This record gives sequence, C-alpha cells and structure tokens, in this order.
Amino acid sequence: MVKSKRKPLNEIMGSIQAYSRIFNIGCGGCASVCLAGGQREVNALNSEITAELKSQGLHKQIDGYTIERQCNNQFFQGLDEIVQKYDCLLSMACGAGVQFLAERFPTKPVFPALNTISIGIDRDIGLYEERCRACGECVLGYTGGICPVTRCAKSLFNGPCGGTNKGKCEISSEIPCAWQEIYVRLKDQNRLNDIRKIRPVMLWQNQVQRMTVQESYRQRYAQS
Amino acid sequence: MTESPLILLLYNLARGPLVWISGLIFIMGVIYQCVSMYKLTQKQIPFMKASQLNDPDALKFDIKQTVLYTHPVMTVVTSVFHMCLIIIPLFLLAHNILLDQSIGFSLLSFSENISDFLTMIYCVCAFIFLFRRIFLKRVRIISTFYDYVIWFLASAPFITGFLAYHQLFNYFWIVTLHMILGELMIIAIPFTKFAHMIYFIIFRFFVVNEYSLRRLQATRTF
Amino acid sequence: MENLNNVEQTIAVQSQDTCQLLNTFKDKMTLSLKVCAHCTLCAESCFMFMKNNKDPHYMPSYKFINSIGVIYKKKGNLKRNDLEKMKDIVWKHCVLCTRCYCPIGIDIPSMISTARSYCRAQGVYPEFDEIY
Repeated sequence: MVKSKRKPLNEIMGSIQAYSRIFNIGCGGCASVCLAGGQREVNALNSEITAELKSQGLHKQIDGYTIERQCNNQFFQGLDEIVQKYDCLLSMACGAGVQFLAERFPTKPVFPALNTISIGIDRDIGLYEERCRACGECVLGYTGGICPVTRCAKSLFNGPCGGTNKGKCEISSEIPCAWQEIYVRLKDQNRLNDIRKIRPVMLWQNQVQRMTVQESYRQRYAQS
Repeated sequence: MTESPLILLLYNLARGPLVWISGLIFIMGVIYQCVSMYKLTQKQIPFMKASQLNDPDALKFDIKQTVLYTHPVMTVVTSVFHMCLIIIPLFLLAHNILLDQSIGFSLLSFSENISDFLTMIYCVCAFIFLFRRIFLKRVRIISTFYDYVIWFLASAPFITGFLAYHQLFNYFWIVTLHMILGELMIIAIPFTKFAHMIYFIIFRFFVVNEYSLRRLQATRTF
Repeated sequence: MENLNNVEQTIAVQSQDTCQLLNTFKDKMTLSLKVCAHCTLCAESCFMFMKNNKDPHYMPSYKFINSIGVIYKKKGNLKRNDLEKMKDIVWKHCVLCTRCYCPIGIDIPSMISTARSYCRAQGVYPEFDEIY
C-alpha cells in the first residue's frame, strides 16, 4: 500500500501559523495502516501542536476526526458542516487524499501533515520498504519479480551498470545491486533467456497525469 | 460438632486433598496452555537489526494515547482488581497458617486488617465490573451468560472469604463453600476465559502489533 | 419469488474448502475468542467507533464476536442471511486498518480477516462498484 511519514512538527506549525481554528483530518486507509495518519496519529499530532502552541504562549482551536479514506468522495459525506467551522484543514492522508480534500473543499486552505513516500510492503510494525514507483509499464514479468525501476539506482532495464561491485550498488556497499539479484533469481529458475533480449527504455517524458478506466467499466463512462 | 455428615465430608475434602488436586490441575493446565500457545507461534527470520534503524522521530510515549486517558476509572479499577486477586490469597494470614501447618512453609502475611480492607476493595471493584456489564450498553451487547458465570467464579471466593472471616451466617457452611469455590476458580484459570492471565503475558511478546512489547529481533510471531 | 428467496436465505452454507479454512485457523481463533474478557476497552481505539457517535455496534470486540465468533460457535453451519449480516460487519463496519488496541493482547485484525476469508469462500464479498 501507499506508505507515508509525518512531516516534522516545525513544518506543520509553519503552515498553520496564520489560522486559529484548525481541523485535522485523518485517513483510515493506507495512512492509518502505515501508522502515519490514523486516529491515533491525529490525536498525537494534535496534542503535540497544542503543547507547542502553549510553549509559544498562543491559543488555537484544534480538533481531529478520522474518515475511512480520503481518496473517495463518498467518505467525505458528513464533513461539509463540520468543516465550515474551521479556518484551515490539515490532512493526514497521502498526496492523493490531500488533493482530493482540497478539491472537495475549495474555499478552505488544506495543508498536508504527511510526506507520501512510496508504494511499499510491510517488513514489520512501522518498518516499510519501497517496492513500486507506479511507472505504469510493469516489467516484473521478465525481471524475476524484482523491480529494476525501484531497486536500481539508475532504473536500468538491460543489466547492471559498470558500478556494480560484488553484488552491491556503487552508491553504498549496503545496497544490493538489483540486477545481481535479478540475475541470481532468474538463473535459479533457469530463465536467463528472459533478460537476454534488449528492452527499450521507459519513455518517462511522455508521462502525463494518468487516468485509469477499467475495461469492464469503459461502457459506463463512454456515453457522457 | 453438630454438622451433618455430608458437609463434614465436603469440608474435609475441600480442606485436604482438593487443595492439592486443584493446585496440581492449575499448574499442569498452565504448562499445557503455555505449550499449546507457544505452538501457535511461528518461526520468523529477523529482517533487520534494530541498530540499523536510526529514527529520531520515533513515536514518543504519550499518556493521552493510552487507556489510562480514555478510561481512567476503568484502568484503576481493573489494575487494583487484578492485583488484589493475586496478592490477597497469597499473603492472607489464615492461608499461610494452614500452609505452615501442612508443609511447614509459608509466605509473608499481611495483617488481618490489611487483608480485610483489600478484600473490601476487591469486592467493590468486582461490583463495578458487574454493574458495568449490566448497565452500560456497550458492555451489555457483547455479554453472555458465561460472562456472569465467570464473574461469579472470580468474586464468590472473596465474598465468602470475607463472610467467613467476619463469622457472618453459618461459619462452617460458608468456609466450606469458600474453599470449594476457590478451588473451582483455580482449576478454571487455565481452561476458561481466565486464561487471559496466561495469554496476557505470553502474547505481549509474540503478536505483531504496534502495542505489543515484541521487538524487531523477535524470532517468533503469533 | 419471495418465497424462493426466503428458502435461499436459509440454506445452510458449508463446503469442503471452507471446512478446511475453519480448521486451519481453529486453534488460534478459538483461543483468541476464549480469552476475550468482553471488557470493551478496545472501543476507543477504533476510529469507526468514534466516527459513528460511539455506536457499540462498531466496537472491535462486537465486530469479531459477531463475525468469526458466530462462525466458530455454529461450527460453520451458517445460513445465507447470517453471512449477509456478517458482510456489513466485516467490510462496512471495519476497514481493517489494524489499529485496534486490546489490553489482553488479542490480535483482532487477524480475526476480522479470517472472517472475511470465510465470507469470500462462500461467495459473499463487497461489490465496490455498487456504491456509486
């Protein structure tokens, strides 16, 4: 799922500086799962902000609320009236959630409280590892289930660069070389032929904001 | 003594062999439950050493995030209740005298006044639990008859013990009842809802959860 | 037609696959269900509970007792309409954010997810395209 991490308190304090009634909205989706923006973090952030304001001798109204997901309009129902009572909104969701919240309440300033980091996996509680950059053209089929876009520092598509050193990346001796891992895994599966073909580079410059329409739903949106 | 032979028999049984039998069942049961709970855990290969993680933004302890803040009364009541549950019978003078008489060994004892006071506190806590179960909707909707049986098993030995100490009602009957109920409770611990006594400790260290005490290097998970 | 529907609603559900599923998780689930003291201290940790005006039907304990608890209590001999009720509990009332707190240490999310697996194995699952 999408992994995010809370912004430093200073940055959040800076963004809400000019406002006196702040509404902090948490997200029960990915942000909650990665322990960054669920109800517990909303309460924690609110009490941190309150303590910080107190030390500065200021007083602001700050309340919290957590909704199922901020990336779906349906879950904003019931927020309309509450939101009117506040000067600005703080969103503890991923970038998508923050943007959707801002779009839904265009008259209210919306500030992010999280930095969206990656699409990743759970290694342990509070320990996440990036696995996908959502490039839109998955190559995992021929790279043995190891993503060269995410794992290789140069996102190479046709084998390692000259910097690979005893299975480690030239950036750091602690980072494994993705292409070494791809090679080992494919060799174990006897599939080395998969990487013998030359693959064209990814056309990153052609990427625009992507819209996903599932094939089976195309009909539904074609009419309008 | 003018008691009927049946109650005399019960009294002698409860005072003698049943104590040892219930203690034995309790210990065996706890061991059995520990082993079977441990068997439910699986081996896990540690992914990373904690020293490799250097996160200055680690979640700080905040009392507002604990049950002490959301349920201050309940937290105090439940802590006192469970503490009393363990220390009263262990450090009760009368229990220790009986223990000394039979095996020549005994633990420290509280003065009788302290034990009496703690028992009263325990009973108050028990009744808070009961009233909560009856009158709070959120507790009532998940309560079953079994919860009341468990409540009865947990509080009856203490209530009868209190009555026996103060020689209220028929002492002989009450003390027999007290012993039998107490033994029943001890037997029930490993096999009923009371098993949360064991589970509570064991699973702090195995469940993968943000609140558990399990550490990154842990090699087993539930 | 209504009659037919009623009959369908009360047909017992059980198949080889789901028996297998129930057996695999039996020890863990029955243990977790057994040690729950029904204390309701988990309630406030659930944002769905807080969001729905502290409605007790959103308590984590209520949700697992009335989903996986019912499944094991009835040993998998459930009726269709039992599952339909469960569907709302495990998908609508719980988003499986895994953030519930149990003072005894019960792994509540794993219980809800097992209930979800059981429902899915019986062909009961949420239709996300029906929402709109």
